[in-house]
Amino acid sequence: MKKRIMSALLASAVILSVAGCGNNSTASTTTAAATTTAAAAGNDTTAAAETTAAPANDADETAAPAPAADEGTTFNIYAWNEEFKGFFEKYMPGYDADAKTLNGVKVVWTINPSDDGVYQDKLDQALQANATASADDKVDMFLAEADYILKYTDSDYTMDISQIGLSQVDTEYQYTVSAASDSNGKIKGVSFQCCPSALIYRRSIAKDVLGTDDPAEVQAQLDSWDKFDATAAKAKELGYYMTASFCETYRVFSNNATSPWVTGGQLAIPDVVNQWIDQADTYLKNGYTLTAGIWDDEKNAQMFADGKTMCFFGPAWYFNFCMGNAKDPDKGCYGDWAITKGPQAHFWGGTWILAATGTDNGSLVADVMRAFTENEEVCENLVKNEGQFTNNKTVNAKFAEDPDYGNAFLGGQNDVAVFSSMTDDIKFQNNTIYDQLLNEGIQTYIKDYFVGACDKDTALANFYGYVNEKYPAVQTP
Amino acid sequence: MSSTTQTAPVKHKSISYAKWGYLFIAPFFIVYITCSLIPLLSTFYNSFFENYMDGLKQIGPNFVGLDNYVTLFTPRNDGTIEIMKYAGNTMIMWIMGAIPQIVFALLLAVIFTSERMKIKGQGFFKTVIYMPNLIMASAFSMLFFTLFSNVGPINQIITATGGQVFDFFNNVWSARTIIAFINFLMWFGNTTILLMAGIMGIDQSLFEAAAIDGAKSSQVFFKITIPLLMPIIVYVVITALIGGLQMFDVPQIISAGRGVPNNTTKTLVMQLNSYIGTSKNYGMAGAVSVMLFIITGILSFIVFRFTEPKKEKKGGKK
Amino acid sequence: MPSKMEYIDKGNKTTLFISRLVSYIFLVFVTILSLFSFYLLIINATRSNAQLQAGFEVLPKEHFFDNLVTAWNDTSIFFLPQGMLNSFIVAAFTCILTTYFSAMTAYGVCVYDFAGKNGIHKFIILIMMIPTQVSALGFVQLVNQLGLTNTYWPLIIPAIAAPATYFYMKQYIDSTLPLEIVEAARVDGSNEFRTYNFICMPILKPAIAVQMIFAFVASWNNFFTPALILDKKEMYTLPIMLSIVRSRINSQAGDMGEVYMIILLAIIPVVIVYLFLSKFIIGGVTLGSVKG
Repeated sequence: MKKRIMSALLASAVILSVAGCGNNSTASTTTAAATTTAAAAGNDTTAAAETTAAPANDADETAAPAPAADEGTTFNIYAWNEEFKGFFEKYMPGYDADAKTLNGVKVVWTINPSDDGVYQDKLDQALQANATASADDKVDMFLAEADYILKYTDSDYTMDISQIGLSQVDTEYQYTVSAASDSNGKIKGVSFQCCPSALIYRRSIAKDVLGTDDPAEVQAQLDSWDKFDATAAKAKELGYYMTASFCETYRVFSNNATSPWVTGGQLAIPDVVNQWIDQADTYLKNGYTLTAGIWDDEKNAQMFADGKTMCFFGPAWYFNFCMGNAKDPDKGCYGDWAITKGPQAHFWGGTWILAATGTDNGSLVADVMRAFTENEEVCENLVKNEGQFTNNKTVNAKFAEDPDYGNAFLGGQNDVAVFSSMTDDIKFQNNTIYDQLLNEGIQTYIKDYFVGACDKDTALANFYGYVNEKYPAVQTP
Repeated sequence: MSSTTQTAPVKHKSISYAKWGYLFIAPFFIVYITCSLIPLLSTFYNSFFENYMDGLKQIGPNFVGLDNYVTLFTPRNDGTIEIMKYAGNTMIMWIMGAIPQIVFALLLAVIFTSERMKIKGQGFFKTVIYMPNLIMASAFSMLFFTLFSNVGPINQIITATGGQVFDFFNNVWSARTIIAFINFLMWFGNTTILLMAGIMGIDQSLFEAAAIDGAKSSQVFFKITIPLLMPIIVYVVITALIGGLQMFDVPQIISAGRGVPNNTTKTLVMQLNSYIGTSKNYGMAGAVSVMLFIITGILSFIVFRFTEPKKEKKGGKK
Repeated sequence: MPSKMEYIDKGNKTTLFISRLVSYIFLVFVTILSLFSFYLLIINATRSNAQLQAGFEVLPKEHFFDNLVTAWNDTSIFFLPQGMLNSFIVAAFTCILTTYFSAMTAYGVCVYDFAGKNGIHKFIILIMMIPTQVSALGFVQLVNQLGLTNTYWPLIIPAIAAPATYFYMKQYIDSTLPLEIVEAARVDGSNEFRTYNFICMPILKPAIAVQMIFAFVASWNNFFTPALILDKKEMYTLPIMLSIVRSRINSQAGDMGEVYMIILLAIIPVVIVYLFLSKFIIGGVTLGSVKG
């Protein structure tokens, strides 16, 4: 009874390991940790040099068989929501919406919620079974987010796009290519979005606090953390909050990390994260921000017209898809917003398309990848109709230079132009396969210290305990 | 463990019905062994191995003896043994919810079954009290989360009356109380029904006889209802205990999956889940499961021991 | 001055009145407690996403049908009524199998004398204490090996072995089923299965009804196992559908109104099943009184 119900609801013990016992049993913890670090190291040559396991791994990969002939009759796509499916069904050339076929091949979507890791669990299971699965069940293509893409690109379960006849094109933004590359620079996929993240500010509050709402002038007053902090104090005096969540600036810092979270299997909090901790501490103590989390109602309520918050941070998808409160016809403040680069360039999110090893529809995967990065008509539709900032420089430039193009939500500002100007400074570096939960974890656990539930050392010890539970391969201080 | 188990069947030894006994229990055991026991034994077996995923790489299984248990009980730098803290949290929150749950259920069961009071609208009340159990625990937690959030109605009332916003989920005792309260609210109806069904199973002639003898209702309750209800009460306490030790979804949602504040609402199963969730750490998860099993076993044994003497009275039933 | 007898009678009446009054007050209090979450749920199901974001309101809003239409037309979860039907099929079979076979096991242990039966009883009590989520890991592997993913078998068959249901039935049979009845049936020439099905079952009705309700609700609200076993939309059960809708709430596509509507709709069938089965619990009263 109670027992059964409780356990039944036990959503997260979602499990299933997959990798049968027995294979790979030679790998010890230490080599495994070393391998992943090498993967994470990117441009850190010393870390890469220390490990010998990584190259061995790659040797296997090069030896991987060429993709199967393109004879598949079912095109299997794994995704965690309907967003890309919608774009695909509307804009993919050769897609027959009635028959649900692409060039005559039946398209089958497997969509699992990302809650509790269900999406990744099922995807992992399917990828590991791909070699033996029947032709109609083979995963051909799947989607991944920036937070965990490295887990897939740095494995043998994804294919080098050159194997399906694709190569990097000039119109793609470099960081999206880096993110889709494995530790040896092999490109494993493409992104159909580019997600530079901007400082989104309330024009009316900026006028009060900074005396202007002009993006260039606002930028001049907020282009460094010192200026940002000084403005926060000023905003407070006038009765405003600088940000609505103590985590609001987290990604701005963490995206610009100069060292990875994990080196040689050893966890070390990056300097930028320590800087964020200091900033968030100060902001909370001084009342510049709220204790709300990044997705909390309390934060979102600040987007209404009666909200007192000046700054938010987010890419195009953020104000298009997550600022519904600001767009509310009764209580919102549509048009009272603008964007600018802010203190530091960074990005947030994005969806990458990856080819699964063992696909029997390699050429279709290549078609999809091309359509959503190179096909200008498709990309233009994404900007015009869907509010996306695409991964096609030519198309973005066209909108950026178009004097008639403007986003009414941002008071007519040309957001494509602002984003275009930010893209060169975005880096995808110092990433590890552990980043998603480390980034989430530090924000949650350090909050205990901010709200006075415990001291800083205890909060960090709790965080380390969490890391030990989540990632046995990572050693904590 | 139950005195009737031993005494009841003694009387029909003349013809052997043993094969029927095996036949009756066969489906249960066949299904149990295939669907639960084999996977379960592998869990216990796993607790002696290093066995997890690092990204998409499988590590192990490598035999490590008792290393996983040592890890589990190694204090961190500040002296905290995490599993002990989580076991403590679990017990505290369970007791906070279980006591009102059982007290309410007993009271309600007595009210509903009282021949003397003849409560009107019983059908309505019986339906209503069970209804909270029909809402999914996740939905329930979601409702309470919005209710007590910093911008929720409770805080709206507090600020409207001149108070300061109170962050319910970042205070140890308010967070624990909310979790315990949700568990209480979800389960007291369930317990009431169990007890009611038990009371209805009691031979009505006993109550009638007691009434003729002029017994007070409190006497009837303590001398007849409680002793005869003992098997069901034992059942209720044991299952509540097992359910309580496996407390997971409510604190998981209320505490954002992390046991905030300061790990004070993190339960054993949340820890278990944390091990399984990302890295499929079957070794450590197996060790936590074994500990959970041992704790449940000890506590259940205490409950059985505590309640056994009272059950002797029932022996006279046959 | 009233006689002693009258005095006692009057005193009894007063206490009866007071205990009734206290009981009703208590019942009303408990009712409010129980219905409060439903009130919240219903109010929320009538509000649009933006209204839900804006905070709490006491009175219902006008978006009930909008939310209903959104939920009904949501193709990302295939078709909501299909999910309700799927959930119903799984829950109905689960609750029938779990009560029938667990009661049968308990009956077997209570009524028959066979070697090792005490050991078996203790074994079941022991396994009841093992956290279920633990064996689930291996179970899903087994399901994959047997090729039973995307079928309802792995959700239904394991219900046959429910230790907690067994334990309850065992306790109930111990305290209510007179073995004389079984013996009398034998004397009348009834075979053992017949005795179980037609003589014992009616006596166990209240307990069976109770466990059926619990099993139905548990299965109806189960997200955990179905999410692992099913990934074809047309086979999804309600909790999976709810999870899909809920996972979008941080984006503009998300609609909390729809979420609350689905939660509300999900409750209706269980309430009906509960009302239907609870009749049998009450039916047990008359049976119990006749028995003596």
